[in-house]
Amino acid sequence: MTEGAALAPPARHRARLLPRWIMAWPALAWWTFFFVIPLLWILLYSLGSKPAATEAGAVSLATLSFSNYGESLTGVFFKVFVITMRTAGLGTIIAALIGFPVAYAMALHVPARWRSMLVFLLILPYWTSFLLRTFAWRIILAPQGTLSDVLHSLGLIGGRLLILDTNAAVQLGIVYNYLPVMILPIYVALERIDKSLLRASMDLGAGPVRTFVQVTLPLAAPGLLGGLLLTFILAAGDYVVPTILGGTKGLMVGNLVATQILASQNLPLGAAMAVLLIGLLFLIVATVSALLWLARAIFRSSRGAPL
Amino acid sequence: MEINRLVLLAWLAAVFVFLFLPIVVIIIYSFNGGRNLYVWTEWSTHWYGAIFDNPRATSALAVSLQTAFFNAVIAVALGVPAGITLARRQGRWTGPYIALIFVILGIPELVSAIGQMIWMDRIGLFDGITRLSIGHSLFNIAVVALIVRARAEGLGEQLEQAAGDLGAPPWRAFKDITLPLMFPAVFAGLLLSFTFSFDDVIISLFVQRPGTSTFPIYILSSMKAGLKGDVAALAVLMLLASFVGVGFAATLLSRSGKGKTLGG
Repeated sequence: MTEGAALAPPARHRARLLPRWIMAWPALAWWTFFFVIPLLWILLYSLGSKPAATEAGAVSLATLSFSNYGESLTGVFFKVFVITMRTAGLGTIIAALIGFPVAYAMALHVPARWRSMLVFLLILPYWTSFLLRTFAWRIILAPQGTLSDVLHSLGLIGGRLLILDTNAAVQLGIVYNYLPVMILPIYVALERIDKSLLRASMDLGAGPVRTFVQVTLPLAAPGLLGGLLLTFILAAGDYVVPTILGGTKGLMVGNLVATQILASQNLPLGAAMAVLLIGLLFLIVATVSALLWLARAIFRSSRGAPL
Repeated sequence: MEINRLVLLAWLAAVFVFLFLPIVVIIIYSFNGGRNLYVWTEWSTHWYGAIFDNPRATSALAVSLQTAFFNAVIAVALGVPAGITLARRQGRWTGPYIALIFVILGIPELVSAIGQMIWMDRIGLFDGITRLSIGHSLFNIAVVALIVRARAEGLGEQLEQAAGDLGAPPWRAFKDITLPLMFPAVFAGLLLSFTFSFDDVIISLFVQRPGTSTFPIYILSSMKAGLKGDVAALAVLMLLASFVGVGFAATLLSRSGKGKTLGG
């Protein structure tokens, strides 16, 4: 645009009076009205209280207080918050451990003409109903199911497979559902690596392990970080997986919020829990990013070699 | 080195089997003749004939299709101009604008859903399908904007400038040059918005009104009572439809990919 202004012949039609980005306004207006304003309302509602039986409306805003936040962080609610963060955190780590070698194999060991096919296969599950894929795990994990029989006859489990309707099944469902979200960004980062860098490292005498740690891993770091953050955020806010696979023993924050709002008619408490959830996610994401930034700064200054 | 490679490829294969296992299970169990999807009794194609016999399922399907359609129209109408502008008219506004897009994509759906429920109730917006379409569109506008932006950045603006130099007014350059060039991205965005909406649970759960449940909400509520084979049969048909759709979109995108040199 700036170079165009110098070269532009006077005949060029362009409405100079209008702001240059006016075509991006309709979307911005839509988001402001239906996304930003509603978020502010959640904040306000989280400070209200459940209306008395005689009052109309879903919330009473007569007296504002932080009591809903206090209630969210006590007793069984607090326990569910801890379980949610643990399930999401552990799920993210497991997905990374399973997913990194997959992305690595796809980017460096699979012939180029097969790669787009594999990426296609990776996102294909997302074209079938998320609900039904999760429900299928109920069939697979059922105590009377085939997997249970096989594990039992192999002597790997004593009785029946009893992980359905517990946190373990939720953990499995989370890893399953978000694995492609972990693999794709890592794959994209690894695929962009100039292979001659890896050969150069080997030629200069570094072994495969050293090449991986000092060349491949730092170059894949942005993708890995993206995958970790995305998986964690999606997993922590999940509702479908714990609802279908968790029963009453595998609850997560998503279930608590939905129950408060849709069943208990306690919108203010549900709103406060939702605000706490994003607050907590923001805090964790910010802390992890800061730590990584610090680690990279230290790594750089000690090596003296800018990457 | 060769052994490493084999181990990695075996791992790759195992993970893909893991990813497709539930889908295979659903396909097999859609041929389960029993009354309960969950308990295998016998092979039968019975449920494929009974797909449209359940009025609650078909009305939920109709709601889902309408919602997905209106949502995709909104997403393309607002997302395409936003995406083109993001690529072509960069300035101080671009950074915050993209930050907002990432907030919309990254925020837990649950939080966004509660906010929309509160707000739509407050402003008195009570039509079920309108609420659902708007609720789904917020995320999908952002998706379309990002896809279109990537395409517009790859193409450059020389052709439109040439059209302008040859005397075409801006709207004509947009209609005759920009839109056809953007078509693959627009189409991919349309398809994605439609799918995301069709599969959505959380936004629908909160913003829906009595009588306008979407298909996923119907599945979720009938899970407690026990699912029947008709749901699995329908899911298999939908999978086939999306195979065709994705195949079509992929051919389209790869064909236009070859023509990319046109734009420089």
